[in-house]
Amino acid sequence: MTAAPTTVPGTAPGTPAASTARRRRRRRQTWTAYAFVSPAVVLFAIFIVGPFVYAIGLSLYAWDLLTPARFVGLENFSRLFDDPMLAKSLITTFLFALASVVTHIVGGLLLAIGVNRAMNRALSYFVRTAVFFPFLISWAAVSLLWKYVLDPTFGLMTYYLGVIGIDAPSWFSDPTWSLPAIIGIDFWHTIGFTFVILLAGLQTVPNTLVEAARTDGANSLRVFWHVTVPTMSPTLFFATVITFIGAFQIFEPMQIITNGGPDDSTTSIVMYLYENAFQSFQVGYASAIALVVFVVIMTVTVVQFWLSKRWVHEQ
Amino acid sequence: MTGSADTITQTRTLSRRTFLRAAATTAAVPAGLSLAGCGGSDGGSTKGALSFVYMGDAEQQDQFEKLFAEFNKVHPEIELDAQGIPSGNWATFANTVSTRIAGGQVPDIVQIATEGQRIFASKGLLEPLDDFIAQDKKLVDDYFADINPNLVKWNTEYASHDGQTYYMPGGFNTMCLYVNTEIFAAAGVEIPAEGTWTWDEFAAAGERIKQKTGAFLIPANSGYFTDVMPWLTTNGTSPLNADWSAATLDSPEAAEAAAFVRDLVEAGLAPEPGGQFDAPSQMKQGKLATLGGGRWPVIDLRRLGLVEKTMVMAWPTRTGHGSPIGWDAWPIMKASKNKEDAWTFLKFLISKEAASFFATLGGTIVPARRSVAASPDFLDNAPAHSERLSEAVSYATPIPSPDRGAECQQVIEEAWLKVLSGNGAADETLAAANEKLGTLL
Repeated sequence: MTAAPTTVPGTAPGTPAASTARRRRRRRQTWTAYAFVSPAVVLFAIFIVGPFVYAIGLSLYAWDLLTPARFVGLENFSRLFDDPMLAKSLITTFLFALASVVTHIVGGLLLAIGVNRAMNRALSYFVRTAVFFPFLISWAAVSLLWKYVLDPTFGLMTYYLGVIGIDAPSWFSDPTWSLPAIIGIDFWHTIGFTFVILLAGLQTVPNTLVEAARTDGANSLRVFWHVTVPTMSPTLFFATVITFIGAFQIFEPMQIITNGGPDDSTTSIVMYLYENAFQSFQVGYASAIALVVFVVIMTVTVVQFWLSKRWVHEQ
Repeated sequence: MTGSADTITQTRTLSRRTFLRAAATTAAVPAGLSLAGCGGSDGGSTKGALSFVYMGDAEQQDQFEKLFAEFNKVHPEIELDAQGIPSGNWATFANTVSTRIAGGQVPDIVQIATEGQRIFASKGLLEPLDDFIAQDKKLVDDYFADINPNLVKWNTEYASHDGQTYYMPGGFNTMCLYVNTEIFAAAGVEIPAEGTWTWDEFAAAGERIKQKTGAFLIPANSGYFTDVMPWLTTNGTSPLNADWSAATLDSPEAAEAAAFVRDLVEAGLAPEPGGQFDAPSQMKQGKLATLGGGRWPVIDLRRLGLVEKTMVMAWPTRTGHGSPIGWDAWPIMKASKNKEDAWTFLKFLISKEAASFFATLGGTIVPARRSVAASPDFLDNAPAHSERLSEAVSYATPIPSPDRGAECQQVIEEAWLKVLSGNGAADETLAAANEKLGTLL
């Protein structure tokens, strides 16, 4: 798309009058553009930039919410290095995020391919809706629902596993199973989002490329690896980054289902942050943890961008 | 920011790839902001409506509203702005109130449970009530004469850091058992008439009930107040010592209590913990013989039509009677500009009329006034022997609530759950938890 020629009726191009009219028009366009973006910029400044700067300030104080804050310099940051629970919650969160990215990308891609190939449109729409629907339910409702489903005595899962002769574990009170159970619940809840993104990416793969590859004798697997995946690699990259960022900030299911237990096996970094802020009333230290979360996510994202040069194909 | 007009007229193609990259980058920014929205200011209430913050879900708020309407009949000149906060437990409620105060929303009066009383007082946020009490000595003396002396003693011992009086104690909850008499009868198990039984007698009753009816004896959960404390106190122990300065969760008595409950689970007398076991509904369906609670299960029992089929029993004992106790208390905030009105409201809350009215509505607490707790206002339309909830004050242990109470609670509950679910030996697990508790005191 290119700009249309700018000729004001009644003025000859190249005259001073025409130049003035053009400047006025451009100025008006400039202000119109600013007006359109200003709500987003103002909201971004109030709810993102402002709190971000404030969090940096808070991290330099000891504050219990109830009494005046006390300046402690970098003490909160030095504490981070001597806090074993911080390390444990970071490891738990990385494990969760890694599992989340792998299951969502693989599962989402398989679902998208299946739906994209479905010949029956009605079935295709049904599957799309069914897979996406859980994503519309709040985490609180999902958490309570799965507490029922995985109840070790009355849960549906316990019952059906029993039918096939398997003793169901105590999903939420056994440290071995608690994190995998949360990963599974997260997959059920949010796979729809990844699926929709990947399906959209899949549908942008030009048929001409696929047909050309087939004409050249490529089988389905080769078409998938050498045409489909490279062509939709920007979408895969986007889904990977978004999934990781979302997973790293996981909080609700851990808080509602397991409260971080058993044995702190499901304490995510954001949950640990919350506990410090609103159970221990160590708001300054919690702010320092919040900044750690930010730095970790930003670092991983930058690394992902750097690695993307090797596998993401720009058209 | 300034820019050439050309930047507007020169069009750029925003490719899908560029958009996806930009979106991915932008998504990372809010990650560090999880906390920063919590600003703070000295704040303070302003003269105007009298603000009162209390814990209550929608149903409880309805009941409170009726109580407030009664207050306004007597004092129409005081505009009351009451705000109920639905919270799952008192620790969460205290956190919510603290966050509000940090945000500058300081109410005139806050309902505070045992778990938060000492820490709130120690922060210098509360107005000492001694002058008000002296001003209305006769009225307060009448109130204190009608409530259990333990409550008066604990109001200073546990709810004050400097000997001054910061709270007027309100209703309380202890822990007893609601027993389904139909299930016991169906199993041919006699309920002790005197209202006491030992752990062994209780377990033996459970075996017979399981055999005859298939019902569970009791839920096995890890709630600090509702599940852990009753078993500990009936074995003569507690997670902390008397002044909450040292952890005692590694005592042999505590390990014995946890192991006993684990045995109930292993024997199939209690369901596996860690799920979403809805005790009142299971009792309604004849699948559960007893459930623990203070006054609050009465609401469910009424809803399910179980009032006539249940009775209140003391918790089974090993070394002697035991129960935790937690009580509401009402302070006036130091920042309040309505202190006189606030005191007027407190006087209403401790009046016999208010206690009777609230008991009639079916409140979720036991009235502090013994005269009301023993009256039909409290005992009618409630399971038989509901007076045992009130009697439990005489042997109850105030729920240990040190300054870092929420964290202590989490450590205790996690350890208890670990034992109950068979993922750790009682003595080792509680000893490890005891060590953690030590770092929090």
